[in-house]
Amino acid sequence: MIAGAWLCLAAPLGGTLLITLCGARISRRAAGWLSTISVFVAFAGAVWSFFGLRSHGSDHGSISTAWTWLQAGGFRPGLEILVDPLSVMMMLIVSGVGGLIVLYSIGYMDGDDEERRYFAYISFFVFSMLLLVQGGNLLLLLVGWGLVGLSSYLLIGFWHERPSAVAAAKKAFVMNALGDATMALAFFVLIAHANSLSFATSFATAGHLSSTTVNLVALGLLGGAVAKSAQIPLHTWLPDAMEGPTPVSALIHAATMVTAGVYLIARTHPIFEQARTIELVAAGLGTLTLLVAGLIALVQTDIKRVIAYSTMSQIGYMFLGAGLGAYANGMFHLMTHAFFKALLFMAAGVAIHALSGEQDIRKMRGIGQLMPWTRWAFLAGSLALVGLPPFSGFFSKDSIIAAALHAHWYGVILWVAALIGTFLTGLYTFRLYFIVFPGEPTPFVREHYHAHHGQEGPKTMLVPVGILTVLAVIGGWIQFAPIWTPLTTWLEPVARTLGVAEPTSWQEGLSSALAVALGLGGIAVAYLVYGTGRLAVPRLPALQRALEHKLYFDEAYDAAFYRPAAALATALRRGFEEPVVLAAGTDIGETAFDAGRLVRRLQTGLLRTYVLFLGTGMAVVAIVFLAVR
Amino acid sequence: MILAYSAGGVLVWIVWVVAGLACLASGVAVVSFSNPFFSALALIGNLGSLAVLYLLLSAEFVAAAQVLVYAGAVMVMFLFVIAYVGPRTETPWSGGPGWQTIGAVLAAAAIFLEIIVVIGLKAGNRLAHSDHVNGTFGSPGWIGRLFLTDHLLAFEITSIVLLIAAVGGVILGSHTQRAGEEAST
Amino acid sequence: MLGPSTAWYLGVAAFLFGTGALGVLVRRNPLIVLLSLEIMLNGANLALIAFSRHAGNGAGQIFALAVMAVAASEVCVGLGLVVALHRRRLELDVDRLSELRG
Repeated sequence: MIAGAWLCLAAPLGGTLLITLCGARISRRAAGWLSTISVFVAFAGAVWSFFGLRSHGSDHGSISTAWTWLQAGGFRPGLEILVDPLSVMMMLIVSGVGGLIVLYSIGYMDGDDEERRYFAYISFFVFSMLLLVQGGNLLLLLVGWGLVGLSSYLLIGFWHERPSAVAAAKKAFVMNALGDATMALAFFVLIAHANSLSFATSFATAGHLSSTTVNLVALGLLGGAVAKSAQIPLHTWLPDAMEGPTPVSALIHAATMVTAGVYLIARTHPIFEQARTIELVAAGLGTLTLLVAGLIALVQTDIKRVIAYSTMSQIGYMFLGAGLGAYANGMFHLMTHAFFKALLFMAAGVAIHALSGEQDIRKMRGIGQLMPWTRWAFLAGSLALVGLPPFSGFFSKDSIIAAALHAHWYGVILWVAALIGTFLTGLYTFRLYFIVFPGEPTPFVREHYHAHHGQEGPKTMLVPVGILTVLAVIGGWIQFAPIWTPLTTWLEPVARTLGVAEPTSWQEGLSSALAVALGLGGIAVAYLVYGTGRLAVPRLPALQRALEHKLYFDEAYDAAFYRPAAALATALRRGFEEPVVLAAGTDIGETAFDAGRLVRRLQTGLLRTYVLFLGTGMAVVAIVFLAVR
Repeated sequence: MILAYSAGGVLVWIVWVVAGLACLASGVAVVSFSNPFFSALALIGNLGSLAVLYLLLSAEFVAAAQVLVYAGAVMVMFLFVIAYVGPRTETPWSGGPGWQTIGAVLAAAAIFLEIIVVIGLKAGNRLAHSDHVNGTFGSPGWIGRLFLTDHLLAFEITSIVLLIAAVGGVILGSHTQRAGEEAST
Repeated sequence: MLGPSTAWYLGVAAFLFGTGALGVLVRRNPLIVLLSLEIMLNGANLALIAFSRHAGNGAGQIFALAVMAVAASEVCVGLGLVVALHRRRLELDVDRLSELRG
């Protein structure tokens, strides 16, 4: 079990190092397969750990320490990994879905000049994400957190000749850095009080901290989670991150990295439970995000951006679940979301790849006729996303909505909002489907479509899509609350659902029925408007413009943060750096010159002067001797 | 006898004052004259007054050597060269940077004062009474005996130094041909 | 000892030494510099003789004679230099003679 976990962690790292060290000596294909094999080996290790944990029977998991990493006074974090139900679940998701996506990348990135760099980066990302979820103490979690942010930056800006990609990478990194900073501050407080960052100790200490302190710690953790998971207000980086290659969007910005925030809340839930207000703030932010993202997704014209906003919205659901205390439900939705969102991205990627990089949905009309498999895959993913039975999304999403109903009086507000969200989900998802896939292919499509040896795409792309389609359909059958809940039971020892978030049967049933109904309603409206054109899009120019500008968040941040910072930097450059720092350099040189010039006057070149110095020296020495005796 | 003693004492004092003043004045004159010829003559006067002072200090041989060697040979050599070089005048206090002159005066004054102070502090009490010496003190035979017994090494080395100086002087003065060639090229 | 005590002689010697030093530092004609150097040496000689008389020790007079011999040698060489300078038509000014050139 422990060996499996270490294998899981080490394999992708080994893959990265191997690809980096071999450099141009291996072919691009070989690099791709090397990376894929390393991630699948990691998956094998995760499966091994899973079975080992099940047979082990230990409820709380075990920590395996490699060595003591730091030593600072009483603070001694070790290089340790944790194998418990929550971490094993994440390991399986990350390495499993990750492996499929890396396999897909072999086909997608084929022909790119810098393929090897891509595969090195993506293996490194998988390693970082595994470190994050396997970290046995908060310090290693933070290390993984930072490395994941770094990998994201490297991969978003992969096509670095594009200025938009570079800008997007920077934006993502800076916003994530904000979250990293708040998390680090929270950890500092914990170290100050508990002198340790191991899970057990810090959680135990959290119970003894004053209310303000624990609220601050929880707020810091929430800041990190919000930044990493692209929730409001730190969400503006995610749509721009679509500049990266599609597999990157699938892996990092759908299935794994952005879900790290949810994992964090589930992992550190003892701290959050001490700061219940903050936890509910998380739920509120999640709800707000799911509504706003859903609305913005209605007007987007880039296929990847629609899916990105959809991701934002679904993570809002996860935050809602985790924030209320339904950790297992949140994690369940994380799992099913990984399946169908990766599927959606990858299917879209097959279409984009076939059209040589075109992503505008208005131009991609009718491609379903030329690519039937992709069309069915996309449809399966969309149905799972909307949450219709028997697809996976139904089982996971409805539990969260029901939990909201059961929570306190404000839970009802969240419940209503979540239900509106399902309507929006149906609407924007099927808007996308009906615009892109059915119908007659446009002239653009006919002109630019090129099949791959008679098939819709290379096998390495189609096989993962197929596997994920199956998973998107059946992946939810692992739990059907409240009748059969093996997943909640599995996660029980480490992430017990709070009582307040356990809905009753009738609440579950009511929520499910309403959610399905609203989802179908959204699909229907989308069909009427975009599928058949019978209904027209309502004319609301102000709202349309606001949504197209993503509710002016980017402009607001620009005015509030960027402009003052730029003005301050310019002012400092003019007022301080040029006159003081740069001038200091020349001033020091000039002062040295002047001093030298002064001293040069002593060098008269006359013998008499030097004899005078002799005599003066003798006189001075005599005085000194006299004084000292 | 007391009368003789006191008369001798007064005479000694008078001689001392005259010789001392002559010494000091001629010393100042050496550094002050602009014409080197006059400076050399002043130095001869200085050497003479010093010889008188040596006599007062019972150093008869040294006084004689001073007059014969120093004033008689060295100064003559000086006068030869001054005559050879020709008339030259120079304003003594000019030239060099301004602080040179002031610094020189201050340094010289400081050295003078310090010598006085050091001697006064270190040996002030003991300078009052000097030892009693017998008649042979300072006589040529006595000096000769010292040279050949206690201070033989000094005697020999001094003669070597004189030899080297003579050789050097000859060499320095001898390259007339070459000097002529170098001057014309 | 009849007459002034040793201290007086030492005062005269000190004055001679200082005057000679002043001359060395101030004058530019090398001949005068040599003469001033002689003054300094004579001052030292006077001090030596005075101490020799004071202590009744002959070493002082021996030393003074050695000093005289050395002074003579040094003047010989110095004047040889002056003559050589004059032969090469160089200006007899220590301020000008500031470069060591063959």
